[in-house]
Amino acid sequence: MGHPTEGVLRRLLDEPAGVSDADRQHVAACPQCLAGLAATREDAVLINAALASERDPDVDVAAAWRRLSAALPVAGPERAQASARPGRLRALVRRPVVAALAVAVVFAGAGTAAANDWLQIFRTEQIAPLSLSAADLIALPDLSAYGEVAVTGKPDVHEVPDAAAAAAQSGLDVPRVADLPRGVSGEPVYQVGKKVTATFTFSADRAAQAAAKSGTALPPPPAGLDGSSVRLVAGPGVAEVWTSGTGAPGLIVGRAVAPTAFSSGVPFQVMRDYLLSLPGLPDKVAEQLRTFAADGSTLPLPVPADQVITRQVRVNGAPATLLQTRDRTLAAVVWVSGGVVTAVAGSLDDDEVLSIARALR
Amino acid sequence: MDLIRHAGAGCVLAASGAVAGAAPVRDGRKQRVAVAGSARGAVRADLDEIFRRDYQRVVGVASRVLGSRDQAEDVAQDVFVAFSRSSVPAEQACGWLLVAAAHTALNLLRSGRRRASREETAATADHNVVPDVAEAVVTREERSRVRAALSQLPRKQAMALVLRHSGLSYADVAAALDLSPGSVGTTVRRAESALRKELNRHGSSD
Repeated sequence: MGHPTEGVLRRLLDEPAGVSDADRQHVAACPQCLAGLAATREDAVLINAALASERDPDVDVAAAWRRLSAALPVAGPERAQASARPGRLRALVRRPVVAALAVAVVFAGAGTAAANDWLQIFRTEQIAPLSLSAADLIALPDLSAYGEVAVTGKPDVHEVPDAAAAAAQSGLDVPRVADLPRGVSGEPVYQVGKKVTATFTFSADRAAQAAAKSGTALPPPPAGLDGSSVRLVAGPGVAEVWTSGTGAPGLIVGRAVAPTAFSSGVPFQVMRDYLLSLPGLPDKVAEQLRTFAADGSTLPLPVPADQVITRQVRVNGAPATLLQTRDRTLAAVVWVSGGVVTAVAGSLDDDEVLSIARALR
Repeated sequence: MDLIRHAGAGCVLAASGAVAGAAPVRDGRKQRVAVAGSARGAVRADLDEIFRRDYQRVVGVASRVLGSRDQAEDVAQDVFVAFSRSSVPAEQACGWLLVAAAHTALNLLRSGRRRASREETAATADHNVVPDVAEAVVTREERSRVRAALSQLPRKQAMALVLRHSGLSYADVAAALDLSPGSVGTTVRRAESALRKELNRHGSSD
């Protein structure tokens, strides 16, 4: 027989019982493998030492528990007002708000855009952070595995000369910032984006293929689901961008028509519940999405818990979500009022974005 | 030849009852069970017990990645918040928590490379104690290089390395990463090789 692989040598160090007798006997009698084993061991010991930051981290479990208790929501996930919890969203501060929201809703299983025979099932009134672990994000299924995802409008984000042009093209009141924060000055660049529409059409064939690929059986689709669609409409929107001294965006104020979802064919809840039951979606995520969407007015916004801290605040009476990156380099606040979503974000403290938001005219 | 020994190495990803007694929790006293306002079922009922049992191990995994106990405790908090809302079966909790801790810590390690240097300095000054590991003495600078290299490894290699060095069995690592048990050794070995090369590269140029 040939020499055992380097993987076998590595396992021999940790779990000799997991290595076959033949391999063990070979290694014991083979100078080449013994040399390989020694080199493997040396590397493993060195790397283990380099990774061990403390021999026995002496953590204060009781104090950690108090901290966790304080951070947990006081109400269930069924209300947007549920207290802040770490969530995830890097897109908000880096991309047009509308695009991020559209992604969030399509991902939640509520698709998009409106026509006469479409039943409205979703009108954003609130936004709540949805906490996903990194492991869940990796495991999220691509909806295209279960049907057709079509984006039928393009955001076509473009610059316009001034606030008046932005208002005319978007049909929105362009927010005015009362006082610019320290480090931000001058006139903003105005950008306008058009209405975006995305449609998800369920395909039983495709879903069955996806299930077969993951080695599980597809739950039988409810009658009439095959070919049914959900549709999301969001936008138009407007953004004002101030650059800081370093050339990076120092402050962004954005406003857009909040996403609304419609369904055709089977009732939306039927499709939602079915999509959520499909193999591949982590149970925890399914559970959270189900409660969020059942409200019919709360848009779940996935945000990265490892990078962003969120908490619930109020902006002029409306419930709002305040997000801050853990390194405190970026903060954002986002809220919905009268079917319009507004966001203020920047390389600022959370207090600063909040006071800018509250003073918008 | 048990190279890597850790308290609580018996955490199993998908076997029932296997975690009992795996992670000794120092403070075994039972404290408040209810989280404020959790009576409506928003937070799973066994959170308290699992937290006390596994918190230290979760911090241990994150700490292995980040080299800073403070950051590791932050990661552990986030992981338990996510866990508190989950329906992961109790017998799989330990494995779930450790995998989530490794992922979250690796993400933070990547983004943390951009972090303000004062924070890193503070963290390493406080907690980067050279451990008493026989046969290998590693300088602080080498640790830092290994972590920089770790953040650049393919995710699967980094996960396998961290989980294995945190004491998970080959079978557990295989289950967590959807690898065949036979390929865990190869994956871990490749990761170690890559990190070792990084150390040698700098070591020879110093």
